[in-house]
Amino acid sequence: MNVAKRMVNAAVRSRSYATMYVPPASLENVVVRRQTPKRTPESPNFYTGRAAYFDQVNALELALQHTRSALQTLQLLPLPSFVRESIPPGHHVWLTKLGLTEMLNAPLTTSRYRRLLGLLNQLDNYRRIAEVAGVEGLASRVADVLEIFERENKEAFLARGKRKPVEFDEYGRSYTVGRRKESAARVWAIAVQKQTPDAPSASTEDQPLDPLPQLTPTITSAMGDSPLPPTEITSTNVLINNIPLSQFFPLPADRERVVRPLKIAGLVGAYNIFALVRGGGTTGQSGAISLGIAKALAAHVPDVEPLLRRAKLLRRDPRMAERKKTGRAKARKAYTWVKR
Amino acid sequence: MSLSRVRLCLAAVARSSRRTPCIAASARHLSTLEAEKKPLETQEEWTNFQLKREEYQSLIDYFSAYGSTQTRNNTFQPHHSLHRPPAPSNVTLSALMASGAHFGHSQSLMNPNFMPYAYGVRAGITVIDLDHTLPLLRRAANVVRGVAAKGGTIVFVGTRPDLRPIVRKAAERVGERVYHVGEKWLPGTLTNKIVMFGAEAAKSEQVVPDLVILLNPIPNVHAIRECAIEHVPTIGIIDSNVDPRIVMYPIPANDENTRTAELIAGVLSIAGREGVALYGEERAKRAIRTERLQRNREQMPERR
Repeated sequence: MNVAKRMVNAAVRSRSYATMYVPPASLENVVVRRQTPKRTPESPNFYTGRAAYFDQVNALELALQHTRSALQTLQLLPLPSFVRESIPPGHHVWLTKLGLTEMLNAPLTTSRYRRLLGLLNQLDNYRRIAEVAGVEGLASRVADVLEIFERENKEAFLARGKRKPVEFDEYGRSYTVGRRKESAARVWAIAVQKQTPDAPSASTEDQPLDPLPQLTPTITSAMGDSPLPPTEITSTNVLINNIPLSQFFPLPADRERVVRPLKIAGLVGAYNIFALVRGGGTTGQSGAISLGIAKALAAHVPDVEPLLRRAKLLRRDPRMAERKKTGRAKARKAYTWVKR
Repeated sequence: MSLSRVRLCLAAVARSSRRTPCIAASARHLSTLEAEKKPLETQEEWTNFQLKREEYQSLIDYFSAYGSTQTRNNTFQPHHSLHRPPAPSNVTLSALMASGAHFGHSQSLMNPNFMPYAYGVRAGITVIDLDHTLPLLRRAANVVRGVAAKGGTIVFVGTRPDLRPIVRKAAERVGERVYHVGEKWLPGTLTNKIVMFGAEAAKSEQVVPDLVILLNPIPNVHAIRECAIEHVPTIGIIDSNVDPRIVMYPIPANDENTRTAELIAGVLSIAGREGVALYGEERAKRAIRTERLQRNREQMPERR
């Protein structure tokens, strides 16, 4: 029986063994080519499947560790609550999820993105502590690390929604815009230049006043106390559409409205105003010019801004003409009610 | 780019002598107790704040010399279990017991295949026999050393939040050709490598590791299964509710305890570091040998 089986086996050469047993004799002619060992993966996070992301997380955690130990050595951590309040709040503008995805070349989900942001915010906290305490070296190094993750147009982003600062040109003129109702005014304000005492003045300023007459011979006059030299009083020239104020606005109410910001700020005679106004009627135009002048004064003399704000001169009056509605004669006026 | 930059930037940060944490904390508390608790505004105030704290600390340091002889270095600190693990030859039964490795799960949940490694039952809990654990831990350490000495790749897997720093530290300690997985092991990492890592990486790089060490095998059944399919030897911390046959070299111990995981991962990482050093030596020897052979070959035709 066994002999028969062996003969059959010998005949059938293409027999596969279940245990992959290879007879040693058949290996004698095999040439073993030594393979060059394959390159091993670089990142220690390779087997997470998200190497780039976890590398970044590990790097940030390491940075946090080092910064924390440095601050502890400098006795800046842990901070008591009353000290923490004296640290100014942080304005950080990190990259968006898309931006970080591009930077890391790895897909980022919201949870992973939030985790990165958490680490960045913590590091930013430490940076602010170091900055406020005056440890500039550490603060700058941490800022260098954080800069990689900040948005490019950080300043523009932080300044969004805020009013643009008024710029002055090479002659020191400010350019501001005021609007009221349907009018828009463009206002240029320039500081009045005081004439030097030596040069004779050829401007339209007032002549220096004559010295006050001595009314009664008093002790002071006997002592030889002469009155003070006269102060030079300058005046504000207001030109609207190249026309002086008095001509452009015949009504005193409108004139008063235009000059009010200067009066409240106490800067009458300090600035010359040139305005171009368009649209609307007298009230609208005078209101627009007033707002433009108030903004210009706030730009020239920042100390005056709270005064103007309290006087509500820096507020663009939002009241506009209400529209006429159907079924009514005017915006509110209704037609005569008829019983039948 | 960012990694190296971070390391360069902060590698030079002041690392002065460390202070005992509890005394330092009390010093800071004392120094700020009496103060009026006004918010600090100027740079001077900040500097004074720091100096005051430093004064208290220096006072304590000065008088510490006259007290007990225990210093930060020669007393146990909580971070030593992670940063100063014992070498494989120095692991003792009492160290394992101190880390709580002998606590198994409930008696009713005990896996019948775990019986050889169970010492008994106490208070309804299976007690793991550390007389078995210790030699098995040493055996696992030998395996790690052997794999590293032959230039093999090792992966530490610990997917709980408390195991994350442990696997990271263990990988750092071994140094070369070692990886760690602290978050979820994605199914298909080994069996679906082309989709996971790309065709180029799957072809040019060695994706399948030479050894996988699992600190919590129960949530990582996918990893164990993939290792079995790809014929990767595994080492794992096996608790009493787990069948020890799922990994190749089981280490029966408590898988829920952080200190136990720190101890075991630390021991294995030190063995791995030794193996890497051996591999380096072997390569250096081989390089010298080949250089000598080349020189002899160059000289031989000249002689002839």
